[in-house]
Amino acid sequence: MACLSTSGRVACGSRRQQAHKFICRLFLNPSLRRQSSHLSVGPAPAEGHARKYAHTHNPQLARRFYGLSLGTNQDNLSLLQNSHNCSNNAQYSPQSMQSLRTQSSVHTQQPAGPVREIQIDPYIILDDELKYFYDDVRDLLQSGTSQSELDTIACYYFDGQGKALRPMVTMLMAKALNYHLNNESHQLVHKQRQIALFSEMVHSASLVHDDVIDQSDFRRGKPSVNALWNHKKVTMAGDYILSIASIMISRLRSDDVTIVLSQILTDLVQGEFMQLGSRETENERFAHYLTKTYRKTASLIANALKATAVIAQADDNVAEVAFQYGRNIGLAFQLVDDMLDFVSSTEQMGKPTAADLKLGLATAPVLFACEKYPELNPMVMRRFSEPGDVERAFELVHKSHGLEQTRFLAKKHCNEAIRLAQELTESPYQKGLQVVADLVINRMK
Amino acid sequence: MQRVGALIMQQLMRHRMPQGQLLRRRNPTTPAVLLSTFTQQQQKRGTATSTVSSKQATPPPRHDWNRAVSEAERIVGYPTSFLSLRWLLSDEIANVALHLRKLVGSAHPLMKTAKHLLYNGKNTMQAWGLIVLLVSKAAGHAPSIPDVEQDKSAGVLHSQRALAEVTEMIRISHLVHNSVVNLQSGTQAGQDVSTYDDMSFGNKIGLLTGDYLLGHSSAELANLRNQEVVELISSAVRDFSESEFIGERDEQNNPLPYKPGTFQRPSLSVAVDFNEHDVMTPMPIGQVLGNPEQEWECRNILNAGSLLGKSCQASLKLAGQSEQMQRHAYRFGKHLALAWQACLDAEIFQCPTLPLDTTFSLVSAPVLFHLEHDPSLYALIEPGKKSVELIDYVQIHKAVIAGPALAKTKELQCKHTAAALSVLQHFPATDARQALENIILAMQDL
Repeated sequence: MACLSTSGRVACGSRRQQAHKFICRLFLNPSLRRQSSHLSVGPAPAEGHARKYAHTHNPQLARRFYGLSLGTNQDNLSLLQNSHNCSNNAQYSPQSMQSLRTQSSVHTQQPAGPVREIQIDPYIILDDELKYFYDDVRDLLQSGTSQSELDTIACYYFDGQGKALRPMVTMLMAKALNYHLNNESHQLVHKQRQIALFSEMVHSASLVHDDVIDQSDFRRGKPSVNALWNHKKVTMAGDYILSIASIMISRLRSDDVTIVLSQILTDLVQGEFMQLGSRETENERFAHYLTKTYRKTASLIANALKATAVIAQADDNVAEVAFQYGRNIGLAFQLVDDMLDFVSSTEQMGKPTAADLKLGLATAPVLFACEKYPELNPMVMRRFSEPGDVERAFELVHKSHGLEQTRFLAKKHCNEAIRLAQELTESPYQKGLQVVADLVINRMK
Repeated sequence: MQRVGALIMQQLMRHRMPQGQLLRRRNPTTPAVLLSTFTQQQQKRGTATSTVSSKQATPPPRHDWNRAVSEAERIVGYPTSFLSLRWLLSDEIANVALHLRKLVGSAHPLMKTAKHLLYNGKNTMQAWGLIVLLVSKAAGHAPSIPDVEQDKSAGVLHSQRALAEVTEMIRISHLVHNSVVNLQSGTQAGQDVSTYDDMSFGNKIGLLTGDYLLGHSSAELANLRNQEVVELISSAVRDFSESEFIGERDEQNNPLPYKPGTFQRPSLSVAVDFNEHDVMTPMPIGQVLGNPEQEWECRNILNAGSLLGKSCQASLKLAGQSEQMQRHAYRFGKHLALAWQACLDAEIFQCPTLPLDTTFSLVSAPVLFHLEHDPSLYALIEPGKKSVELIDYVQIHKAVIAGPALAKTKELQCKHTAAALSVLQHFPATDARQALENIILAMQDL
C-alpha cells in the first residue's frame, strides 16, 4: 500500500499517443521501472490498429487505486471501465521491447527522485480529459479552414507525440481547484479543458514560428515544419492556430479569462525579443535570463492555471496559488530543459543537443559556469559566434558545477511548487500536482 | 502604426542618408505636422516616390483624396494611427528599429514593407482605422453606454478607438508576416549563400514584429471586455492566414491563377460570403474557383474585406447597435475594401507601358478577366510556377491593356463603390457619413 505504483496499464487510452504517453510515463516515474519487465505496451506503429490493443486491464491494481482515492470517486470510476483485455501482446514487435529496455537502462543512470509515499500518475487520473485531447485540437483546427494544406501544417505538431505537459498540469490544477472549492459541475471542467487546449495550441503556434526563426531541421524526432513547407505558409499557419485558439477562448464568454490568457501572448513575444539582445552586464545577466524564461515558458503555464481558477470562481488568493504554482513549475521545467540540452543525446530529445549554444544563447548552466571560468564571458557576449566557441563552452560547462547548480535551482522551484500545492485541500489531483513537480525535476526528455 | 514605421525609418535614415534627404523623408511623417500639412505631403510625395510623380502633373481631380482623408481625420478627433507614447517608448519597437538597421541595403522584402507602411499615401491606404472610426461615428451609439466610455469631442467611444488601433495592428502584422522569405533548401532564395544570412535574419525580425503586433492586439482586444468582438476579430486573423493558401503558388508563395478550364462551374447567382451565424465557418471559396469575378471577390474578402468589414461590425457591437446595423457596417467595410482593391488592381494597367522594375499581382482583377477573355495568356504565366520572377510582365501588361479587362475592372470597382454607397444610406446623415462618401468618391477619381 505504501508504494502504490501507478499501474500505467489501467485505462491506457485508445490512440497512438496513449501508447506513447505510456512510454513517457515509464521513463518519468521511477516507481514504474520496477514493473517494466511485465510491460505489454510499446510505441504503437500505426494509428489504425493502435485502437485495437491499447486497452489493458488490471482489475486488482485498479481497485487498490480506487480504494485509495482519498474521497473523490467520480473520476476514478473511469479507471474501472475497461472491458477489453490486452490479448494482443503478440503484436508488439521485439524492437519496441528492446527500445523500452534501452530507454529504461538510460534512466537508471540518473539519480532517482524521492519516491513519495503515494505515487499518483497524473496522466492516468486525467485520462478522461486527455484521452482524446489531440483529436479535439485537430478537429477544432480542421473546422476553421477550407484549405487542406493549412489544416495539415497547423495539425502537424498535434500528433500526440508531445509530452502534453501543459494541458496535463492545467487539468490537474483545474480539478484540484474544483475539489478545493467544492465545485462539481461538469460544465466547469469542460470550460477548463478548453483552457488546456488553448495552452497546448499557443505552445505549438510558438514552436511553429520558432522553427522558421531558428531554421532547425528536426523537432520531436521528425522533420520540423520549416523543412517540409513554404516558410511563408508556415508563418501563416502559426497565426492560424493562434486565431482559432482565441476564437475558442472567446466562446467561453468570460472577459477575465480572455484577459488573463492574452497576457501569455504578450509575454511570449517579449521573451523572444529579450532573447535577441545580450548586451547586459554580468550582474544583470542572470536576472535577464530568469525574466526571459518566465516570459517564454512559465507565463504560459502560470496564466493558464490562473485562468482555470478564474473559471472555478476562486478568490484572488487561490488564483494566486494556482499562478505561482504554474510559474514555479514552468521555471523548473525550463531550467531542466536547459540542463538537458547539455547532457542528453540527440536521440532522446528528438532535437540536436547543445542547440542553445549553437543559437548563441547563454542559458543557466553557462551563466553558472561563468563564475568559475570567466573566459566564458566574452563568448557569451559574442553569442558563441567564433569557431570553437560552442565546443569550448560545452566543455567548460561540464567541467564546472553549472549543471548541478542549475538542477539545484530547478529543485528549489519544484519544492516551492509542492509547498504551494499543499495549500489546497488534499485530493488525488492535489497529490498529482506534487507528483508533477517530481516528474519535472527527474525528466529525461 | 505609421508612427512606429516613422520611428523605425528615422533611425534607419539617420544612419544611412545625407541630412537633406533625411529631412525630406521625415517631414511627412512627423506627428505634429501630419494633420495640417496634407498639401505639403502631396508635394513631398512627388519627390519621395517615383511611381506617383507623373500623376502630380495632371490637374487636380474633382475629389481630392488627401483632402477627403484629412477632413475625415478632423471629424474623428485625431489621426487614427498610433498616437500613444507607449508605442514610441516600447522596448520592442526600439529593438526592431535597431535590428532593422542591419537589414538596410539587403534585398529582404521586409524593407519594402516598412517603406510602404511609411509613405502615408493612397497606395497603401493607411486609413483603415480611420474608416472604422468614421463608421462608428456615423452609426452613433446606444443611449445605454455610460458617459465615461465616450470620447465626447470626437463622437466615438474609447473602446472604438482602441478597436481601430487593433485593426491597423492586425493588418500590419499580416503585411509583415507576409514579407517572410521562403528559405527552404530547394528554393532559389534558400540556395543563395551570399544573401542567406540577411534573409534569415530578416525573417526572424519580421516574424517577431508580426507576432508582437498580434500579441498586443489580442491584449487590447481582451481589454475591450466584449467576447463577441474578440471572436469576430480573431476570425479576421484566421481569414488573413487562409488567404495565403488559396490556389496555386510559386516557390515564394506568390499567387498564380488557375489554368483556364480547370474548373467547369456555372457562376453562382448570389455572391459568396461568410456564414453570418457562425464565425468559425470558413469562406466557402471552393464554390467559386474559376469564375474570375467571384474568385477575385473571395480572395480579396479574405485578404482585406474581412478585416475591414468585421472591424466595422465589431465597432457597432461595442456601441450596442442592432444586429441589422452591424450587418450594414460589415457590408460597407467589405465593399469599400473590394472597391479599393479593384482600384489598386486597375492602377498599373492605366499606364500605357509598364514602368521599369514594376510587377503586379497575377491574380489581380485585370489579369483574371483577361484570362477569361483569352485563355492563351496562360502560356505567359505558366513559367511563373517556379518563380514569378521568370514571367515577362511587360508582355502580359501589353496583352491585358489591349483587351477588355481594364474596362471590366473599372466596372467591378463601380459595382462595389455603388454597393458601399448604398449601404451607407442606412446610416443617419452626419458629417461622418459625408466624410465616408467623400473618401469613396475621391477613390473613384484616382
